[in-house]
Amino acid sequence: MLTYIVRRLLIGAMTLLLITFVIFGLIRNMPGTPLTVQMGELDPSRKLNPADIERMKKAYGLDRPWPQAYVVWVGQLTKLDLGRSISRKQPVTRLIAERIGPTMLLSVSSLVLTYLLSIPLGLTATVRSGKLDERTMSTALYMLYSFPSFVAALLLQVFFAVRLEWLPLFGMTSDNYASLSMAGKTWDIFLHMLMPVTCYTYGGLAYYSRFIRANMQEVVRQDYIRTARAKGVSPKRVILVHAFRNTFIPLVTLIGLTLPSILGGSVILEQIFTWPGMGRLFFEAIGERDYPTIMGLTLMFSILTLAGQLLADILYAVVDPRVSYS
Amino acid sequence: MTLTTPNNPLEEAHEQLMNEPQKSRGFWAEAWRQFRKRKLAMVALYYVGFLVLVAIFAPAIAGTKPVVVKYKGNYYFPAMGYFRTSWENPIFYKDRFRKIYPENLKEKDPDSWAIWPLVYQDPYRRVRDGEWPGQPGNPTGAKGAPNRYNIFGTTQYGVDVFAQMVHGTTVALLVGFVSMGIAGAIGITIGALAGYFSGWVDMLLSRLIEVVMCIPTLVLILALIAILEKPTIWHMMAIIGCTSWTGIARLARAEFLKLRESDFVIAAQAIGVGRLRIMYRYILPNAMAPILVPITFGIASAILIESGLSFLGFGAPPPNPSWGTLLNAGRTNLNLWWLIVFPGMAIFLAVLAYNLIGEGLQEATDPRLRGAGR
Repeated sequence: MLTYIVRRLLIGAMTLLLITFVIFGLIRNMPGTPLTVQMGELDPSRKLNPADIERMKKAYGLDRPWPQAYVVWVGQLTKLDLGRSISRKQPVTRLIAERIGPTMLLSVSSLVLTYLLSIPLGLTATVRSGKLDERTMSTALYMLYSFPSFVAALLLQVFFAVRLEWLPLFGMTSDNYASLSMAGKTWDIFLHMLMPVTCYTYGGLAYYSRFIRANMQEVVRQDYIRTARAKGVSPKRVILVHAFRNTFIPLVTLIGLTLPSILGGSVILEQIFTWPGMGRLFFEAIGERDYPTIMGLTLMFSILTLAGQLLADILYAVVDPRVSYS
Repeated sequence: MTLTTPNNPLEEAHEQLMNEPQKSRGFWAEAWRQFRKRKLAMVALYYVGFLVLVAIFAPAIAGTKPVVVKYKGNYYFPAMGYFRTSWENPIFYKDRFRKIYPENLKEKDPDSWAIWPLVYQDPYRRVRDGEWPGQPGNPTGAKGAPNRYNIFGTTQYGVDVFAQMVHGTTVALLVGFVSMGIAGAIGITIGALAGYFSGWVDMLLSRLIEVVMCIPTLVLILALIAILEKPTIWHMMAIIGCTSWTGIARLARAEFLKLRESDFVIAAQAIGVGRLRIMYRYILPNAMAPILVPITFGIASAILIESGLSFLGFGAPPPNPSWGTLLNAGRTNLNLWWLIVFPGMAIFLAVLAYNLIGEGLQEATDPRLRGAGR
């Protein structure tokens, strides 16, 4: 097991180097630099004179060709330094730390909600399999699964924010947030969270409940379930204790695979709801050609994807003693 | 293989009746038979067929250029100009039609006649007052709610939404087919090479698949789009295709790894069939069914990616009608609900249809799942 993990980590490190190299090359070849994009757009009169640009280029290492700059970036990375954002004049790590909270607020609550709802849904679907209510429910869930989240987000905004004016249109806090009491602040954020969390949750709901149902149907056909039924275990107990415990294995591996999306957030949804999270930071950084921030975020997403896959494989071995890596 | 199971009396009797061995259905015929049993999947297939028809006949459904016109003794097809500007006969430029056909035709050649599209609306510009006898000009802004002449309403600038959606169907369908064609070609080639040769080729190619898989797709797409100064819809398709082949490659690799060991491949190798021929004539047809499933789901996600990118404003340049671009217009003004509801539903239905087809295909070609769905 240990050698397996070490080998996977080594391969992962190589993969990371490759990914960051490719992305570094790509973003350095995008037209425009952080200096020209940012200053020129704001105010033409504030355009820097050539001497200043040269000076700043040197300061941020933009005067070097990109492969050389990449080596410098990796060198800094070994000292755990992600560099400073060019457009925001802040360390990238601090920027990420600022944005990670709001993103996790959405993704963790939607993940918890997804599991809380999809397990009973999936189990009900197994029990009622083939009956009219189950088929209606499954079809409805499948349609939800195919419903694009950005369309749902817009429809929710039109209905609940513009028409009914029940919920705030976007953002994480109201304008008068600072003056609110503690309870008022929580309530305010809760109201702002409702629509984004709905959009994050509904698609996953269909996916997870179908996943649970598919696995359950496989398990329910096993001999030990028939044995349990034959010896007179109540149907409820058969489903919950005998069958469901065995579908837990694939469910656990799914958690590993959702790791990147928990922290990565969704660029489009955060953009629609102007939620101050990681996805939005990423989107803004690309627009501003803020190389260090893009690289920092890319590195984080890639590490999470790789770690998620590794975690899934390890968890698989932990929960299922039949699986071993040796 | 013949259907001779001796322990089944019914079949035995049948066999005697027929008096000759019956040929069993081929793999694809059987898959099609299974697929046809699934009502939802069939409905989805019909819907995609319907979309294809809409895309092909878009200029005849909504447009301001006549489908067929007899003008000064010759027949012309100005509506073809919607597919490609140069297909609109230059005579109409020379005669200064300025894209307004009805009155110009009457004025410049009283004997002319024309067959008009079903709906006189243009996806690129606003129809003005009196352009078409008895039809008022398109309303703009908040007044553009769906009405008799604009069944899906108009945009902020008075361009008809229905016409844009009809013409945007082409984009949505092309994005799906072209990008997945590219992704399929790359994925199958890489997966086939990795699976068939294994060893160090597999090592290298598997790493490549892993690297591309771990690169956040959106970074890759946004970076590639930014590098292109003027992305067209074709660039978008190529980019989506080049970033979404990993799932196909992994499946193809697994299938090739499995089939490589099968008897018919070993037999083919023994009689000296070339490697390429074995890969593409022997293994690929047998591996195609499982590979088609991620391709179908891929079409759905390609449509989602394209509309998502257009929605974020990274899509094809604005004059191109696209469902995502309409949504983007709706986002900037949430009061115009018809800019969100209709294109949103179009995207949803297209994605749903492809997902249903993909699932039907999965169940139809995988014997283990037969009888699972209805």
